[in-house]
Amino acid sequence: MNFRLTIASLVLVVFTSAFFLWPKKEVTFNADIRPIINNECIACHGGVKKSGGFSLLYRDEALSELESGRPGIIPGDAEGSPLIQRVLHTDPEERMPLDHPPLLKKDIEKLSRWIDDGAEWETHWAYIRPDATLSPPATRSSWVRNGIDAFVYKRLKKEGLSPAEEARKELLIRRVSLDLIGLPPTPEEVQNFVQDTSPDAYERVVDRLLASPHYGERWTAMWLDLARYGNSQGYQKDPYRNIWAYRDWVIDAFNADMPFDQFTIEQIAGDLLPEPSKEQLLATAFHRNTMSNDEGGTDDEEFRVAAVMDRVSTTFEIWQGTTMACVQCHTHPYDPYRHEEYYELFAFFNNTKDEDKGHEKPVLRAYRAVQKPVVEEQLKGFDELCSTDFTESYSSLEGAWDGLWDLMDRPLSPCVRDLDSEEAQKQKTALRKLAPPRTPILQDFPPDSSRVTRIFERGNWLVHGDTVLADVPAILPALPNDYPRNRLGLAQWLVHTENPLTARVIVNRFWEQIFGIGLVETLEDFGSQGEAPSHPALLDWLANQYQHEFQWSTKLLLKHIVMSATYRQQSAVSEALIERDPANRLLARGPRFRLSAEQIRDQALAVSGLLSTKMHGPSVMPPQPEGTWQVIRGVLKWETPQNEDRYRRAIYTFWRRSSPYPSMITFDAPSREFCVSRRIRTNTPLQALVGLNDIVYLEAAKGLAMRMQSEAGATLSEQLAHGFSLAMAYSPDEAQLENLTTFYTETLAHYRQNPEAVKELVSNPDLQTPEMAALINSANVLMNMDAFLNKS
Amino acid sequence: MGLGAMALGSLMGCGSKTSSVIADQARDLSRPLLVRAPHFAPKAKQVIFLHMAGAPSQLELFDFKPELQKYDGQDCPDSFLEGKRFAFIEGVPKLLGPQTPFKQYGESGAWVSNLFPHFQDVVDDVAFLKAIHTDEFNHAPAQLFLHTGGPRHGRPSMGAWLTYGLGSENQNLPGYVVLVSGQSAPSAGKSVWGSGFLPSVYQGVQLRSQGDPVLYISDPPGISRDVRQNAISTLSALNQLEHAEMGDPEILSRISQYEMAFRMQMTVPEAMDINEEPQWVHEMYGTEPGQTSFANNCLLARRLVERGVRFIQLFHRGWDSHGSNEFEALEGGFLRRCQEVDQPMTALIKDLKNKGLLDETLVVWGGEFGRTPMRENRGGKVAPFNGRDHHSEAFTMWMAGGGTRPGITYGETDELGYYGVKDKIHVHDLQATILHQMGMNHEQLTYQFQGRPFRLTDVAGEVITNILT
Repeated sequence: MNFRLTIASLVLVVFTSAFFLWPKKEVTFNADIRPIINNECIACHGGVKKSGGFSLLYRDEALSELESGRPGIIPGDAEGSPLIQRVLHTDPEERMPLDHPPLLKKDIEKLSRWIDDGAEWETHWAYIRPDATLSPPATRSSWVRNGIDAFVYKRLKKEGLSPAEEARKELLIRRVSLDLIGLPPTPEEVQNFVQDTSPDAYERVVDRLLASPHYGERWTAMWLDLARYGNSQGYQKDPYRNIWAYRDWVIDAFNADMPFDQFTIEQIAGDLLPEPSKEQLLATAFHRNTMSNDEGGTDDEEFRVAAVMDRVSTTFEIWQGTTMACVQCHTHPYDPYRHEEYYELFAFFNNTKDEDKGHEKPVLRAYRAVQKPVVEEQLKGFDELCSTDFTESYSSLEGAWDGLWDLMDRPLSPCVRDLDSEEAQKQKTALRKLAPPRTPILQDFPPDSSRVTRIFERGNWLVHGDTVLADVPAILPALPNDYPRNRLGLAQWLVHTENPLTARVIVNRFWEQIFGIGLVETLEDFGSQGEAPSHPALLDWLANQYQHEFQWSTKLLLKHIVMSATYRQQSAVSEALIERDPANRLLARGPRFRLSAEQIRDQALAVSGLLSTKMHGPSVMPPQPEGTWQVIRGVLKWETPQNEDRYRRAIYTFWRRSSPYPSMITFDAPSREFCVSRRIRTNTPLQALVGLNDIVYLEAAKGLAMRMQSEAGATLSEQLAHGFSLAMAYSPDEAQLENLTTFYTETLAHYRQNPEAVKELVSNPDLQTPEMAALINSANVLMNMDAFLNKS
Repeated sequence: MGLGAMALGSLMGCGSKTSSVIADQARDLSRPLLVRAPHFAPKAKQVIFLHMAGAPSQLELFDFKPELQKYDGQDCPDSFLEGKRFAFIEGVPKLLGPQTPFKQYGESGAWVSNLFPHFQDVVDDVAFLKAIHTDEFNHAPAQLFLHTGGPRHGRPSMGAWLTYGLGSENQNLPGYVVLVSGQSAPSAGKSVWGSGFLPSVYQGVQLRSQGDPVLYISDPPGISRDVRQNAISTLSALNQLEHAEMGDPEILSRISQYEMAFRMQMTVPEAMDINEEPQWVHEMYGTEPGQTSFANNCLLARRLVERGVRFIQLFHRGWDSHGSNEFEALEGGFLRRCQEVDQPMTALIKDLKNKGLLDETLVVWGGEFGRTPMRENRGGKVAPFNGRDHHSEAFTMWMAGGGTRPGITYGETDELGYYGVKDKIHVHDLQATILHQMGMNHEQLTYQFQGRPFRLTDVAGEVITNILT
């Protein structure tokens, strides 16, 4: 290769002498060099393409001999390094980056200085363990309540900003209730808090919320996106999948504050624990949320492999904030993961018995506690017919509830078997319908009959390369010798103290749920292409706290976050601050952003008094517009219940991947075909149509209107103010009330002139008054206000 | 109406933006449908994609194979079977000759069978692509491959990519509309018009002929337009108060969002109301107001094009002609499908041309794959009806308008119609070409996901310049 050395060197000499006159500033790889490489070079000289044989991904590669016969970088000799010569080249045919504008002068300076200093590579920050000795910076500010605030305050000072006032109490309790349990506070809860002037009033609210059973429901909503949970198998037919018991496991685990390390191990490898309990087996349904394909002509092995690949990607995305999908086909383009390392991870998951079959085996067949009362009720029928007490005799048996189903298969009592009256047959059928769920779970083949894992060349499952053994990527700490080389070992390794990523990645997920944006914005990518943390030391300190101080207690972590002064700030913002920090990365104000799809539904049902607080059990089918559900060979019908199941919390909604619940999709819920770390919040007219016209929200408006009428005084302003404070947690001011009053009055006049419209709107004949019609419309307005749809 | 003109401006006012960088994700997602400049001057402003879901037989419609007739009933040569995967064919099937006569039409002399008596009139406006091939041989994966560039669920569809890249011209209608007719929804479900990993705002909006044309668009019973308008004004006033107190610019977006929804409630039903079309138009298309039909959807497509909807996706399902029953027979259901589409798709081309819209509207027609030259022998048995299995190696699609060369036939298959032998076009090439006509470079229209930039055409695709003007 002709480098036209003379000209290039000449330029370089002039150039380098010029900048040696300036005081030397230290150049570090992660801060200065990696961004240049990733933005300008890596597309052609990285893990995928190595043009000219040159790659900048690993130091040993970058320093090795190229096709030209020379190395691209000579440490200590920037001037002699072809990399510098090529970026300075005057001939555009030779100058790097090829076909792109030349590098900025300052970037070339940095590269030169770095090479002169020895061209050392640094490990990307996320692969280095957080400093265990890290502590919050000392501060005398009285604003600071805990460690979080100390970090935030220090940064604000540096930026010349100050923290905001604490939010008013009504907004604070609404915010913290929506954050911790996903539901708004009741008027009594608001009132008690406002009146309680004791110093620990807020802490007691927080503790009450953390102890609420609704806490588990709220955080399960977050986890189900990651677990890609759905009630169907995916792909073309997308038939039913019986996996709701897993959702209940997650709720219970959050409510019991199961330490996150255990939460991790049980989901990834509960079946490999010594003598696993039924609950631990159930936890492994986590990785049975992968899609399966039963279509004619499909190869089961192809889709088994697709499921295993999904388990690798999902595990690494959730716990390591690392995107492994690229590595299926080739070495990672930017991050230090080699192609073969993907298949070493694949090997951990490649030994399970599930094989993309329609029957979904292996499954766990076990009753859930939620079914007990219903089944007992059915059993009572037999008690009378056989003059015995089945409930009694079955609960005295070992493993009574799981054995109960045997009553129908192999009746212990000949009496039940012999019953053949019409009534008895009916009851037997009814009991059969209450079969225990058959939840798909993970189960490994024994070690001596394990599958062999081979590399798939370019990711093609039909083209096999070398055999590999289960292992973790070399850039991360090694798998300890005493850990088994199976899923259990992998799960334990993920939550090992030495793992630099897990605690950071998970803490960041919880932070994002509360503040609307992560300390690392790219929740899913902590690699070198992800965003750098806004508060690196805070992230590391919180990660340390979570693992060590809090012993992986998520409740303690969340409590720490919501107890901070940072969290309690009010969220009003000046134009200057919006200009300065539009996304609130610096935290000079409290969080304010639109509620999630689940929160919007649950809040509407809660304030209208319709919400069912029933927990657990099979998924339910709340109203959805006709014609949106695809009936495929009658496999699945959408049947809307008329009982309280119509008003259950959003997480209990039946989730079919090919036809997910439309109003929730409109509010950015994902279809759950794959793990999704981050919902991108959008703002479209279709969302407004849901809030205005969806029957769910219309029913909610009617519920709220009835509360306005029945719970408040007789005057209009009392009723409107009551509706407002039920929705917003604070009382309306004069201007707000005036707008609502005008609207109500004009609407009332309209309905007085249109009695037919009253009847169309209000179905209950006892309530068919123009006043009720006007109140329903007023409630509808309240429930579409920005203040209602946002957490403020 | 006079509602919040200022706020509306904040939502739509960036039509003059001329940034050439389209792939930046730093865009303001609170205003995701702003008009954005293309990469280069486009030939087409809109796309109408007529997807014949289930895959019609090219051998009975456009790809005339007299040689195949000669070998009718003979064993299929081994060379066509070795190493192939079929959905249903087993062992050695028999070849099946064309089931219908063909003739050449127009100045271009294009071959069309007698099953499309109307379409014969417009062959000189059409570019036939006879050697399209795909990677997939089952319906759902092949439909996903055609519309999303990948065979599995989870990727954005072509319309979503274009709406993401270009925004929406008409802020009172969705930018990407889907119309479905025929047996039922396409096999791959709503993913074929989904947004995949793009924000859900870019997914196709299904306009329905029955029930609400757009979900939730009708005011509830007993709530009149006047009351609704007053409610929206009240909401705007209340939200303005909120904005004065909180300062969050998102609140202004919320105001526009509700005002836009209110307008959409008027414009969508108006666009969907084909009653106002003159009788001769109904006769031309064969439409009957109130029905769910391909004909109605073709006429709606023209109405939506007139209103600036960027991507209109029609699905007409029921083409799967295996021969296993009457519905799936070349002498049964297939003939009825042909009748259902022939007149309306012809009318659509004529109508667009008459109105001067064909130049700027790219019309694309085709299935997710083709059919085999062999007769299907599911289970090793002779099927009760004539049918053909799924075939990914070669099939015919056509394009018209939007800067494609009219009156050409591009690509050739072998004498039995099994393989493309000249000017083959891969599905990724087709996608690259459609994006190109819309002014988008398929390699630059990317979105960062799972650590790498994704695009519609994966890592392949070449614009087929030979079929463009």
